[in-house]
Amino acid sequence: MAELAAEKNERLSWVSANVPLISNLDVWANIALIRQYHENMAAAEARRLAEEYLRRYGLEGISSKRGPALTNEQRFCVMLLRAVMVRDAILIIDQPYKILIYSKADTYLDDTLKVIDDSFKECYIFDLTWNRDRYRTTNAS
Amino acid sequence: MTAVLEHIGRRTLNISSTLRDTLSSAFRILLRMFDPRVYTSAVRSVLINQIYFTSVQILPLFLGASIIVGSLLIGIVFQTIKDLGLAEYTGRILMGFVVTELSPLITVQLITLRSSSAMNTEVAVMKVNNEINTLRVFDIDLVNYLFLPRIINGIISVVLLSSLFSIVVITSGILFSKLIFGMSLDAYTILILNSATFADAVILFLKCSAFGFFITLIPIQCGLNATNELTSIPIAVLHGMVKVFIAIIIIEVLSLILRFI
Repeated sequence: MAELAAEKNERLSWVSANVPLISNLDVWANIALIRQYHENMAAAEARRLAEEYLRRYGLEGISSKRGPALTNEQRFCVMLLRAVMVRDAILIIDQPYKILIYSKADTYLDDTLKVIDDSFKECYIFDLTWNRDRYRTTNAS
Repeated sequence: MTAVLEHIGRRTLNISSTLRDTLSSAFRILLRMFDPRVYTSAVRSVLINQIYFTSVQILPLFLGASIIVGSLLIGIVFQTIKDLGLAEYTGRILMGFVVTELSPLITVQLITLRSSSAMNTEVAVMKVNNEINTLRVFDIDLVNYLFLPRIINGIISVVLLSSLFSIVVITSGILFSKLIFGMSLDAYTILILNSATFADAVILFLKCSAFGFFITLIPIQCGLNATNELTSIPIAVLHGMVKVFIAIIIIEVLSLILRFI
């Protein structure tokens, strides 16, 4: 049981305003860092992988930008891509609308996750109850 | 009177606990340095970037400063030697004083001013921005990712740049030995070779390594001491830089004691 918990713990991957992008790394390096550090993936290969994922969102143009130069939506996508770099990731998205401050479309989150749904195992979203409407749900707990 | 004693006691305890913390982390990092598993692709990337920022980007400024300061220094030293009638000690003074004492000291001051302050600020900003939390959340070891590549870069940079400074000084010596003593190139070369000892080289290497180690370790540690407030950044940098200068003085004094034992 403890082993399973530890294994699950290793796969927990956070997307949260409290887990920001590293400001002295380019977008691709922020995403690639996880595989480079944990799997010793070569920098060139990790960059290729990161850019491949960015292409899914049509964001290949921001690859060499840094965190502060991104829009909220771009930052959210980059955080999401960084999170799915964890093998068999269990995504924990904590208050996404703290990052997507001005996002109005209630399908944005679903649409964004759908693009990379082959890259994570499970996904849990935590938010405050007053944001319930944005999830089109009535039974949020 | 009691208040004064309390103040002295408190200061002493603070200093000794800072010293103990610094030395114990230095020891832990030193052990980690010899573990090949920590050198992952991410750590190597940081190391390469750090070497570029510290040793390569600084080269034009450093070479310029070395030529100006080194030439002036060697000119003054040779003129003083001539005025005092100590010409037979020229080689020993050049190697024992200028190369092994002044070169590392000037080099370490330059690197501290440029790179240590930058590292201190960088880490403090990371702390304030919660980026240190990001590393922890993604299970990235702070010692492996933040400390090790920067410290190894510090050691490599101080050793190499100090050697470069020494080469510039010795090369300037060719001109000044000709102008002041009328010495030929052959005679100057023999003088330098006869004055160089293996012990000096070892002490020089150890001293440069120690400088490189502590002028990077201390700023990173102080950067991590920043709180979550922006105003803590200048305080962290100020504390870090003061501690770095104290460390430089301690290492210099210890190396002098070691040389004259």
